[in-house]
Amino acid sequence: MEKNIILEVKNLTKKFNSFTAVDDLSLEIGEGEVLGLLGPNGAGKTTTIHILLGVMEATGGIIKYFDKPFPKERESVLKQINYSSTYISMPWLSSVDEILNIYARLYEVDDKKKRIAKLLGEFEIEHLRKQQFSFLSAGEKTRLFLVKAFLNYPKLILLDEPTASLDPDIAIKIRRFLKKEKAEYNVSMLFTSHNMSEVEEMCDRVMIIKSGKIIDQDTPENLAKKLHNSQVELLIMKDNKIAENYFKEKKFSYTVDRYRFVISLAEQHVAEFLQTLTSQNIKYEEISINKPTLEDYFLEVLKEKYD
Amino acid sequence: MINFNRVWALVIRYAIDTRHNYDRLTDVFFLPAMDLFVWGLTGLYLAQLTNGSENYLYVILSGLVFWVVVVRAQYEITINLLVELWDRNLVNLFTTPLKISEWISAFMVFGLFKAIIIMSFSALLAFIFYGYNIFSFGGYIILFIVNLLLTGWAYGFILGGFLIRFGKTIQTIGWVGIMLITPFSAVYYPVSILPHWAQTVAYFIPSTYIFEEIRRVLFTGAVSYDKLLISFILNIIYLSFSIWFFVWMFHKSRRLGLGRLI
Repeated sequence: MEKNIILEVKNLTKKFNSFTAVDDLSLEIGEGEVLGLLGPNGAGKTTTIHILLGVMEATGGIIKYFDKPFPKERESVLKQINYSSTYISMPWLSSVDEILNIYARLYEVDDKKKRIAKLLGEFEIEHLRKQQFSFLSAGEKTRLFLVKAFLNYPKLILLDEPTASLDPDIAIKIRRFLKKEKAEYNVSMLFTSHNMSEVEEMCDRVMIIKSGKIIDQDTPENLAKKLHNSQVELLIMKDNKIAENYFKEKKFSYTVDRYRFVISLAEQHVAEFLQTLTSQNIKYEEISINKPTLEDYFLEVLKEKYD
Repeated sequence: MINFNRVWALVIRYAIDTRHNYDRLTDVFFLPAMDLFVWGLTGLYLAQLTNGSENYLYVILSGLVFWVVVVRAQYEITINLLVELWDRNLVNLFTTPLKISEWISAFMVFGLFKAIIIMSFSALLAFIFYGYNIFSFGGYIILFIVNLLLTGWAYGFILGGFLIRFGKTIQTIGWVGIMLITPFSAVYYPVSILPHWAQTVAYFIPSTYIFEEIRRVLFTGAVSYDKLLISFILNIIYLSFSIWFFVWMFHKSRRLGLGRLI
């Protein structure tokens, strides 16, 4: 069965005089899909999100939500989507309750009392209803942004660093909530985060953006697989000298910190490598084999940027 | 189509901000009261110097009470706009279905409420302390207030246009910008006292006609409807232009990204 396309972007471009912030970017998000947008600082992620929300004008390209042109159909589109970012703020002197009531009115939420109560409960900030925004901790503010983001039962939600500045236990709860919304209501999400394990956990698909261009896209697992090398970490106490000579002689790519060796190897050569160690009478006290992760892939991309 | 629920949401938002913000409460009660005491007493002294003629006192009190309308209408546009920038809330607002026309309407509605509250408060103090009865102007009050509101809104949207384009770097114009037109509006003195070139400028400012007519009522009990009409026509022209200018600057700003203003 073909998936409904919620957001379709074609050849999106944003230029500031001679500088191109977003360069011919195209993407699609299907119903219930979570798309991660990853890239180094200044890659164009926030610019892209701001254009997709209509708070910045694109130089060129086509944006369609629910098959409706945007920003031409701005009002009807924005009723069905929402946004949360740790980079913005909210009315500083208003209480949590006052802020949410204002936003519920702006989104014309019918059952606003019930909806606000439910979401405050989900995000565990019910007790902060009367608290002024300026007195909230960073984590509480982030949770309030998320409550606002889910007020209007959005079909698509754009989340810019949604769990930044949260304690790990709260971040886990929030990821659980996001997954539940996705599973129960087929909510689609466009997700940016610097927490790679979070992106791996949450996203069905990841796009790597660099200098405003999409340079790669796939599932988090497939992107990680593009790095062929695994890291074999060995603790060699007794035979460390022999081991180091052997690694040098065989020209392995490795690092050493006293007795701890990290050898970088293609995944398919790991078993053979371990056998050779035995045949060379090199005994190790501890071993761990780390497969490449999305973070490794992302770091590789960053390295290319600065090399 | 303007959605009044969203306009009302913003009116509530700005009312809440005023209630929680001591600076803005000072604007509402403290400053008008102090102005009234200082200038009212000055007017009393002038009245004594001129053998008890209360007209001088009433000219000053009328200036104070009615000028509040222009100032408030302008302030509630520029200051509430700045509040969104100070609170870093502008991006949040415009990622909702809120339209620029609804934002403009909210500024005007809130400005109207606040102007009426502050003007009533000033008028009440003027009555209690100086026996000045604003209702002695009869039905003309409505014509004066409507015209002064239009002047304040028009000027507010011009200044607001610059603020939405250039942001907090020029925020001072939000509260001192009004000083540019105050001397030409002849609030406390007749236009004839101004230098010739300034008189020419003054007659391009709609509020000038209103203050001239307020003084005419005080001294003669009549008004010139022709002058009120000129003021009204100028107001309509300026307000239309200023709203167009504000929307145009908003779009220019959005081209660069509203996120840069926060």
